Amino acid sequence: MTDTQPDTAPDAGPDTRDEERAEERRHLERREKWIRRLPLLPALLFTIVITQVPFVFSLFYSLTDWKIIPPTPRTFIGFDNFTDLVDNQFFRDAAWVSVVMTASAVLLSLILGTGIALLLDRKFFGQGFVRTLLITPFLVMPVVAGLVWKNQVFSSQYGVINWLLNLVGIDNVEFVTRYPLWSIVIVLVWEWTPFMMLIILAGLQGQPTDVLEAARVDGATNRAIFFQITLPHLKPYLELGTLLGSIYLIQVFDQIEVITGGGPDSSNIPFFVFQRSIGGGWDFGAASAMSIVVVIASIVLANLGLRVLSGLLEGEDPA
Amino acid sequence: MAEVRYEGATRLYEGTEEPAVNALDLDIVDGELLVLVGPSGSGKSTALRMLAGLESVDQGGVYIGGRDVTLVPPKDRDIAMVFQNYALYPQMTVAANMGFALKQQGVPKEERVRQVREAARILDLEPYLDRKPKNLSGGQRQRVAMGRAIVRRPQVFLMDEPLSNLDAKLRVQTRTELADLQARLGVTTVYVTHDQVEAMTMGHRVAVLKDGFLQQVAAPKELYSRPANLFVAGFIGSPAMNLITVPVEDGVASLNDLSLPLPDDVRAEVNRRGLKEIVFGVRPEHLELGQEGTSGEVAVVEELGSEAYVHVRIAHGAETELIVVRVGGETSVTRGDFVNFGVTGANHYFDPDGDRLDAKPVPGAG
Amino acid sequence: MSSDTGLVVGQKRWTSWALGLLAWAVGLLFFFPIFWMVLNGFKEEIDANSSPQLFFDPTLDRYRDVTSETPGLLGFKEAFANSFWIVLISTILVMILAVPAAYSLAIRPVRKWRDVLFFFISTKFLPIVGAILPLWIIARDLDLLNTRTVLIILYTAMNLPLAVWMLRSFFMEVPRELIEAAQIDGAGLRGQLTSVVMPIVAPGLAATALLCVIFAWNEFFLAVQLNPVDGSTMPIWVTSNVSTRGNFLAKLSAASTLATLPVVLAGWVAQKRMIRGLAMGAIK
Repeated sequence: MTDTQPDTAPDAGPDTRDEERAEERRHLERREKWIRRLPLLPALLFTIVITQVPFVFSLFYSLTDWKIIPPTPRTFIGFDNFTDLVDNQFFRDAAWVSVVMTASAVLLSLILGTGIALLLDRKFFGQGFVRTLLITPFLVMPVVAGLVWKNQVFSSQYGVINWLLNLVGIDNVEFVTRYPLWSIVIVLVWEWTPFMMLIILAGLQGQPTDVLEAARVDGATNRAIFFQITLPHLKPYLELGTLLGSIYLIQVFDQIEVITGGGPDSSNIPFFVFQRSIGGGWDFGAASAMSIVVVIASIVLANLGLRVLSGLLEGEDPA
Repeated sequence: MAEVRYEGATRLYEGTEEPAVNALDLDIVDGELLVLVGPSGSGKSTALRMLAGLESVDQGGVYIGGRDVTLVPPKDRDIAMVFQNYALYPQMTVAANMGFALKQQGVPKEERVRQVREAARILDLEPYLDRKPKNLSGGQRQRVAMGRAIVRRPQVFLMDEPLSNLDAKLRVQTRTELADLQARLGVTTVYVTHDQVEAMTMGHRVAVLKDGFLQQVAAPKELYSRPANLFVAGFIGSPAMNLITVPVEDGVASLNDLSLPLPDDVRAEVNRRGLKEIVFGVRPEHLELGQEGTSGEVAVVEELGSEAYVHVRIAHGAETELIVVRVGGETSVTRGDFVNFGVTGANHYFDPDGDRLDAKPVPGAG
Repeated sequence: MSSDTGLVVGQKRWTSWALGLLAWAVGLLFFFPIFWMVLNGFKEEIDANSSPQLFFDPTLDRYRDVTSETPGLLGFKEAFANSFWIVLISTILVMILAVPAAYSLAIRPVRKWRDVLFFFISTKFLPIVGAILPLWIIARDLDLLNTRTVLIILYTAMNLPLAVWMLRSFFMEVPRELIEAAQIDGAGLRGQLTSVVMPIVAPGLAATALLCVIFAWNEFFLAVQLNPVDGSTMPIWVTSNVSTRGNFLAKLSAASTLATLPVVLAGWVAQKRMIRGLAMGAIK
């Protein structure tokens, strides 16, 4: 932009007028900036204080040797807590449980959710009612979900599954004791499939019909339409589902607490942290180190996730 | 009611190199309907929004009724605007939509109702006052948007492609109604469109924009008969003016067999600029099929009933060029015929760089 | 917009039938555990604690059992009151903080709106377990353990990013020209908000608030760590009905039904809008 002002300016002193205007313009711009920022600040400050500051403390605790019960003075020990973790068989088990639990629950619920969404994305009698039935598991309190499945579905004495197995002549199976991890995964999948289904359904219904019709006119089979048109269209929705699902499922606690109460085959890192600290261990230094491991894993996940999100936000600009 | 003035008004969007509107100077007199026309990206809408206060003016200024409103927020400019998709408040009735501006001004209820009724009467909207916008047809919505603008008797009407969402027939009809309404109310109006027919039929004067620069502002007739440059010549008129690059020698341009002796002023200008080639422009109605002139093969005949346009393919150097000739409605010429055509008058001569050669260039003249 | 075109030409009628039937079967299968839970809540313990049976004499006694007070134990009334106030106040706080923030990200965006939105979302990526120990220590030192206050603050922080995210997508749906039209019609910020923006986003506000209610109502991790003794919420009350002695299945079912009902109803009502706010805001 050039600095030259047009010399066709008004009759009374063009130069002073432009200077006045420039001055006022700067003033207005500054004001506008604050008008835009101000509504954001309370939420931003609150979020920073409540969610960010504790992590700094955690980081600090993780570098110390610090037990609350019995009370011991806090001593700085560097990365010893972390190196100890590597040798800790229980922690390694918990880490493995975390990985298996998150990955399998996300994957299974995503596949099931997509399948169900495809079933629901067609007109049939009672469509709305069936959708309502299907989303209910996601709304149920996780604690209740865990308790109901444990006591009324899996239970070897009164459970529905064993009752069915008995009918076909198979002996009772103590699911929760024999397959603690997979019992929990099943409950998680039951709760998260509806969520995935809703996201995929939103994607399916946002699919422009004309493209589908064009494909049909072009002679594409249902199979070809699904794999070449629908699935690529669903990609961002699948990514969003994976992202949100992973964030929540990596921190599962409630279902573990009520179904197995922990144990090497079913406690993930968050649960193990609880056991080692507030849940009875009171070893805040070591527990903090474990929680930092979860944070780092989440940051890795989040980085992947944010990349996905930034792709999603690319197209829109409210400015 | 008021006159409007743009004064070196410039809008530079953040992160772009070229201003969307570049040092625009434009005077619009009281009661005038001025049309801003141009292709997409020409800056016509931006110019309108700068006047509305919806875009900031980064340099220069805008004036309404002599008042500098460059930094005045939209709500204090006393203007009304009709948006392309009407921007009716979905949850309000037609009456509430039309009365909204008055309500903001604190006009008492009875007075508001009276004025809304009055505007509704003018626009035949009385039966719809209690409806919501979603229960109206496209044409009715357009009228509500108009009603919202006229009810408050602003100093200036701003219209941003207000007819582009109507179907072709309704658009032509509404065009005349709108022009008539504007004349009756006598409110200064700035009207943006990309449709040059709309611009020519409605505007008292038309301002042609391209790439943020004002190309020419003139009454429709002058714009048509004396386009200031190549861009305007090609943009205004449908079908477009024939524009062909031709060689010049000794003050005579030639198009195949046609010799086109240049008028004195053009010849002087060509010599002054040392041009070997110029762009020769002629409108289809100034060409005539006959025995004389240069020849070519008919590629297409567009029959419009009262008249027809014959597209003639002529050799032009190593390439071919399509020339459009207007003929009467009952032509016997068909595709594949070989025809001759000649020039009957009103030729235009341009520097290949764009300038019109027979007059002083007068961009921005008001 | 929907891609369900009903019966596509050439598709066999029975295929369509079979797929509809399959959808029903899957729906019923997914709903079954909840149905079973509700059913068991109306049984005598003896009936619940035997092999599954569909037919029995329904009774409300278990509901009476679980809502009766036992001194020294967490009662229904106390847990419900705790949950009610914690959820209500935290949701109100979330909305008070999130509405202006979302406005600043969508309608009159700050220049770095993308970064700010990322920050809000990224806080959801950090697991609460990473913060729980400091939170416990801070709460203990401020005498906030076992109080409603601590959960109100934390639930507000927990739901705030989600609410900002959802509200922003609802605000984005307000057509820009409408706000411009209101400006030109002479409306100030207040007029624009009350007359134009709010009527359009109101359903979205309601859906967002409902989602916050659901998450806060169901939250267990923070509640059990910070408020195991006092200020305990409904999820803790549900688990308190699990006993190691004697039969508890019917009682637990009744308690679970009571705890689940409010949120399931809210979710049913708001299902369509909730998912639109969650998904559509991100993908357009």
